[in-house]
Parts: sequence; structure tokens; C-alpha cells
Amino acid sequence: MTEARPQATPSPGPEAESSGPGRAGRLWQALVPDRWGWLMLPLLVFLLLVFVAPLAMILARSFTDPAPGLQNYRDFFGSAVYADVLVNTFRISGTVTLLTLLLGFPYAYLMTLASPFWRGVMLLAVLVPFWTSLLVRTFAWVLMLNNTGVVNDFLLSVGLIDEPLTLIRNQTGVIVGMVQVMLPYAVLPMYATMRGVDRRLVQAAEGLGARPIFAFWRIYAPLTAPGVVAASLLVFISSIGFYVTPALLGGPQDVMIGELIVQQISAVLRWGFASALAVILLVVTGVLLLLVSRFVNIGKLLGGGER
Amino acid sequence: MTVVMWGGADQKTHVKAAVQPWADANDVTIKQDSPSDYAKFRAQVESGKVSWDVVEVEPNFAHTACDNGWAEKLDLDQIDVSRLKDEMVTDCAIPVLEYAFTIGYNTDVFPDSHPTTWAEFFDVKKFPGKRGFWKYATGAMFEAALLADGVAPEDLYPLDIDRAFKKLDTIKDHIVFYETGEQQQQLVASGEAPLIQAWNGRVYSAAQEGQPVANEWGEHLLSYDQLVIPKGSENADTVQEWAAWFVESPEAQAGYSNATAYSPVTEEALELIDDEVLPFLPSAPENAAKRATIIDYSYWAENYDEVSERLNEWAAK
Amino acid sequence: MTTRFLCRAGLVAVAVLTAIYLVAPVFVVVPTSFNDSSFLEFPPKDLSLRWYESFFTDPAWVNSALNSLQIGVWVTLLSVVLGTAAALAMVRGRYPLRAAVGALLVAPILVPYVILGLAVYALFLELGLTQTILGFVLVHTALAVPFVVINVGSALVSFDERLELAAMNLGASRLTTFLRVTLPNILPSMGAGALFAFITSFDEVVTSIFLAGPDVSTLPVQMWSGVRVQIDPTVAAVSTMLLLITVALFAVAGLVRALGARRAQKALVAAENA
Repeated sequence: MTEARPQATPSPGPEAESSGPGRAGRLWQALVPDRWGWLMLPLLVFLLLVFVAPLAMILARSFTDPAPGLQNYRDFFGSAVYADVLVNTFRISGTVTLLTLLLGFPYAYLMTLASPFWRGVMLLAVLVPFWTSLLVRTFAWVLMLNNTGVVNDFLLSVGLIDEPLTLIRNQTGVIVGMVQVMLPYAVLPMYATMRGVDRRLVQAAEGLGARPIFAFWRIYAPLTAPGVVAASLLVFISSIGFYVTPALLGGPQDVMIGELIVQQISAVLRWGFASALAVILLVVTGVLLLLVSRFVNIGKLLGGGER
Repeated sequence: MTVVMWGGADQKTHVKAAVQPWADANDVTIKQDSPSDYAKFRAQVESGKVSWDVVEVEPNFAHTACDNGWAEKLDLDQIDVSRLKDEMVTDCAIPVLEYAFTIGYNTDVFPDSHPTTWAEFFDVKKFPGKRGFWKYATGAMFEAALLADGVAPEDLYPLDIDRAFKKLDTIKDHIVFYETGEQQQQLVASGEAPLIQAWNGRVYSAAQEGQPVANEWGEHLLSYDQLVIPKGSENADTVQEWAAWFVESPEAQAGYSNATAYSPVTEEALELIDDEVLPFLPSAPENAAKRATIIDYSYWAENYDEVSERLNEWAAK
Repeated sequence: MTTRFLCRAGLVAVAVLTAIYLVAPVFVVVPTSFNDSSFLEFPPKDLSLRWYESFFTDPAWVNSALNSLQIGVWVTLLSVVLGTAAALAMVRGRYPLRAAVGALLVAPILVPYVILGLAVYALFLELGLTQTILGFVLVHTALAVPFVVINVGSALVSFDERLELAAMNLGASRLTTFLRVTLPNILPSMGAGALFAFITSFDEVVTSIFLAGPDVSTLPVQMWSGVRVQIDPTVAAVSTMLLLITVALFAVAGLVRALGARRAQKALVAAENA
């Protein structure tokens, strides 16, 4: 089997640079998957049938419902509210992503250092939220964070505050609720990557005289970067579609696009406009990810980079 | 026959009292689905594959569905509509229950005096604290604001939305919005929003559970849910037969009302209400006398989109 | 040394606070499930088991729980297989339209579920797939598969392919290399992806509400169906039971591992003595 080996190895540079194939060969190479590439096919076919086809039918309605034309898009740009909701959605999602990373990274890192028992306990703490239905969990936050809830009672009784803090029906509530929901999605990918990192590399660097913090940032952090990128991507993209948490824990200023779309689909029944909102959301997020990929290497994860 | 309502324990009680006895007598199999979902309703009708036969909906949707041809026209000759309130019957829909938007208040916070009119509800100096409203435009907050601003009940519709917003502006900092019945109950019972524009039945059941809450009936706004048949339902005729029976059967209506304090749709059923529940029903004589008006859903069917959009805009500012 | 100690202490402090934050809602949910009131209340006033009784005596709850489990298992299997294959292709393979395919792979979690729910509902009505286990499995897999792709993809990116070369140079076949070298390395990420896939399906409500009906329903649909009027505290009882199962599984896994470790140690000692 050794003769097949070269194909399994990472190619050193873009295929185009290799001198061998002529123009037709290069075209052939660009269009036809290689041995690994074919593995994409099953999922691709599956998503085309179950996801793309139905979605295309509904998104087409943004141009046809209630009347053919661009009216739905004009409506969107005609009122500042919708753009505000979109900006709001990205702002909240960004904040949530940042906070989950800030809490999740040290947590995942400590998991790799802990003894098996404590690692188990820490893992359990991450998994516990999963088994509590989002509905109950969100309502639990309502019970904890409201003016007469346990959090305010506690802060009042220890004298940290004199008046109850407003912790729900505002952005604080949304973020507290969402970060808790998203934390497991950040911790687990980072932990999975960190497990695979050979910590002796850091020790070696330190042995060679590097200061611990330097060794950590220059050796360890880059090695865990794929996990961090995966975590941020998951958290950010999942956050954008959130609906339940902002609806129950947020105020009228914290409406996110998911909630707006639900309202348009189920209450107002403006399906064309809802579809237009979805199209705009997809386009804007796509552009945003494209911009981010210039600074952070998500290219490889999203398959954007050439190989 | 598939019956669709809002779900939960409420639906179980309702179907058991209002549908099952008839189904047993006529050998009809009942299936239940929940919750009523207008998007599913419309999608079924558009695809022609209709699995729902009778759906409990808000009247503004019933109007919209009727106008767009999504709902079957009812054969009103078959149903004794004289027993029902005129405002609540349309070509496609009959009422299934009545409820009221009342002033719900926390009895611990306001033990001695509480707001009895919407003007007092809007008076944050006399009655301090947050006020809860349902976050949807049809949640009767515009009606309440206009009544508070001195508009006579008979002059309410068409609503002067600008004037209503002006009035709402005066208490904007004191408003909290709720989404679900659960939140509504939690807001008022915890005292976080000691005043709330409530659904009378929610406050009633919270009080039954020992929570410090009560309904004030002064100037309450009467509302209702309706039943519609999705266009293309194969069992439309069966539903029609059941509907005729339902309107003529006081027991069928009273069972649900006794459990929830929502009103039956006919006077006849009122006589079958337990004495201890009757004072909490919108149609109890002493409460009915305090009614401001019945919400005009033909107005809302026409203006819901636009007012919703303005409400979103206003609330986000 | 002191800086290291301080770092470690700070790390532990952050982790403890994060753990408390993660489990905090549980301390509300569990007591609430034993509350003898039809409202979710905290702290509970009178204790009772009525919400547990309500779960076990109502076939609608039990059936929907069984359906959810069944759907979740199928979704997990399907998305791990499809997702891992796709991740391998993405990181190692060559195929046309990479950027478009990449975008498609994350799109299912980005598209608001209600849009997808409505879209799929219209299609499935035609195909007769509403109210079928298959219908749920198909839709949930579409939603779940990106989690597997991203997790496994990130593991493959950070995986050192020279290990494979070394194995093959030592004479291992391609398949053996994959099974003995590659797979163990990406297994934790596949596990994380599988877990996310299961949970995505198990807690998915928006698309499920479209697909569910009187014949086939799922646990979240059952939980959400009456929410407009009132939350049924049975929800809290279900969550509490799921928690108990999780904790029990963990305890068993920990015990098995501990016993296994002891046995291994014994074997080692015996081997050394021999």
C-alpha cells in the first residue's frame, strides 16, 4: 500500500504549483475529488435533499409572497428597527462567544490538569445543563434572577446592595442565560483538543529557559487554537439563532433576529418577509465569517482554503 | 376528528368536558394535538394535506384565515347562533370560551386599596411599582391606554394608536412585558410587577394555589377564543355537528369553566357554574356589569401587522 | 514557583465559579420538581411526588420520552458517520467548490430553526413524513451534523499526520493505520460531536413542533405544547430524572474505570513478581 502514501500526506503547497499536469489535468484535479474528497459526498447529498431543497423553496417566497418583487427587502431597509435587531443579534452573539471563551478556556485547561476523579466531576458539571430542558432552565433563571429571587436576596442579605438589581428583562439576563447554555459547546471542543496536545512540549520550552507564561502562550496556545476556533464558531453561530432565552430573559430592547422571525412566521404570518429576514441573516453572517477568516484561520475548518 | 387547542392541562380539561361526551355518544374517535400553531395551520391548508379538523385560535387569526380562504365557512343555519354573542360569531368561526383582560394585582402590596380603573392603573404616583403587559399588540394594552386617557368605551374603535402611545409613554419606564401565562403569574405573585394586565383565569388559578393575587373587574376588556375548521378538513361535517351540539349543551361548556374560571359562551351554561367559581367568571352578572367593552377583532385583523411593527419599534426605543 | 501557584489558584477559582454557574439552574429545577403546586415555584412550599406520578401515568409523556430517545440514538449514529466522513474529506481531501461546501456545512445551525421547520413541514406533508420517526431523524440529523463536522474537523486539523506516516512506514496497512492511529486520536472529538448531536435532537423543539402530531410526538414538544398557558411542572420532574440517570452513568463509569485500574495494577504486580 505504500505507493498510495503520497496522497495521504498533506501536500506542501497549492496543487497548482506542482509541475506535472497540464491544463486539462489541472481542471480535472479541480473538479474531481480525490480519494478523501469523495467522503464528502454522502453528507452533501443528504443536506441537499433534507436541508437545501426545502429551504430554497421557502426562501424563494421572499421574492414572491405576498407579491412578486423586492417589497420584502424594501420593508427591511425601510425601517431602522430591523437593522437594529440584526446588529443587536450580532452584538449579543459576539459578547456571548467572548464570555464563553473567557470562562471555558481556563475550565477546559484545568480539566487536562486535574486528577481523573476531579476531571470526572468537572465533566459532569459541563454535562448537567444538557439534561435540563432549555425551557425549564430558562425559567429557572427567571426564578433566580428576578427582583425577589435568590440572587438578589443573597446580595441584599450580605449587604452588597441596598436595592434589588434588575437582572432580567434586560441584556444582563439574556447574556447570563445564553452563556450558560453555550458554555458546554465551548468547553468540550477545547478540552478535546487540549487532551491531544503534548504538554511535554511546554515543559521542554520551560526546561530550555522560557518563562512559563511565555511557554504557555507561544507553545501551548497555538496548539490548542483549532479547538478554540471550533468552539467560537459553534457558539457564535448557534447564538445567532437563539430565540427562547432572549424571549423569556430579555426586554423589548434585546429582541434577536430569531424571535423576530418566529413572530413573522407564526403570529403575523408574513412568510415572505420572514424569509427575507432569513436571507439577509445568511448573507450578513456569511460576509462576517469571510471577514473573520482573514484574521483567524477558520478557513481550514470551513474548507475555504485551497489544498 | 382531530381537535387542536393551546395544550397542557387546560386542553385536557376542555376536551374531556366539551368534546368527549359527544364523541362517545356518536362513536367518533377524537385525536388531540397542541398547541394551535398558525404557521402549521396555513401550511396544511396550502399543501392540501390537512390533518387538523378544528382549531382553537385567537379571533384576529380567525378573521385573517376566513378572509384568505384558509378556513371552512360554517353552516350557521345548523348552529343555534342566537345563544351566542353577535360580536363573537363570523362566517368561519364560533366562540369557544370567553376571558377577560383584568387588572391583576398583588394583594400583599395593595392590601387596602388597589387600582379599579385603567386611569388608576396608569397612575404610578398613587400606585407605585411595575406594570406588566402582554407583549403582543392584541394584548389589550392599547385599549387600556385609551380608556385610561379618557376615551369612552363606545368610541374606542378604530383605535387612536398615536394617542395610545402617548399615554403609554407616560409609564414606559414602569412597563414590563410578559410572554407566557406562567410569566404573568410569576410577575404579579412575586411582587416584581404588583400590577398586571392579566388573563382572569391565570390570576384565578394562582390565587387558588394560595398566591397573593386577585382580579379587579373594573373596566375589564372582554375577549374570547374561537374555533375554526381548516380549509380542506375531511371531517368538516363532523366538526359542524359537534359545534352545533356544543353550543346547545350547557354542561359541555360549564365543565371547562368550572375548572378554569373562563366563561362559557352561552347564558344557559352560566346556571351550571359552581357557586364558588361564579364570582370569578367574566360573565358573572356583577362582573359583566363592570365590563368596558368587547375587544373588536375585526379591527385587529386589519391592523395587527402595522400596530405590531409600531409596538416593536416603540418598545425597542 | 509562587507565580505558578497563584496562576493555578486563579485557575481553580475561575473553574469553581464556572462550575457553580453551570449547575445553578439545577438547584432550582430539582426542588421545584417535588413541589406540590401547579406552578413552578422556588423555593417549593409543600413537597409531593405528583409530577413524577403525572409522568408515569400519562402515556403521552412516556411515549414521547421513548420516541425522543429512539430519535436521538439514530440521529447520533447517522450524524457521527456522515459528519466524520465529511470532516475527513474537508481536512484531507480535495473536491470542488470548497468554500460553498464549507458554508453549507455550518448553515444548518445558522438558519433560524423556525424557517427550516416550516420549510421541511411543507415538504414532508407532501411526502407523508410528518409524524414519523424517520421524519424527525432526517431533520434533526441535518441540524446535528455540523456539530460533528466542526468537532472532528478541529481534531483532524491539530492531528499530526506524521504519526500515520510512521505507522505505515512500519508496515501497517492503510486501514490499520486509520483504526489504530487516527481514530483513537480523534475519538474524544467524535465523542463530543456525538454528544452534541444527541442533545441537539433530544432538546429540539422548534422544528419538532412542526413535525409532531397526535400519533408521534417528542419530549420537548410535550413540554412546550402548553407553555403559552402554563408550564407543566412535569417538565421539572423529567429534567430531574434525566439528571439522575446522567449522574448514575457517570458514577458507574468512574467505578468501572477505578476497578479496571486496580485490576491492571494487580496484574502488573503479579507480572513483576513472576
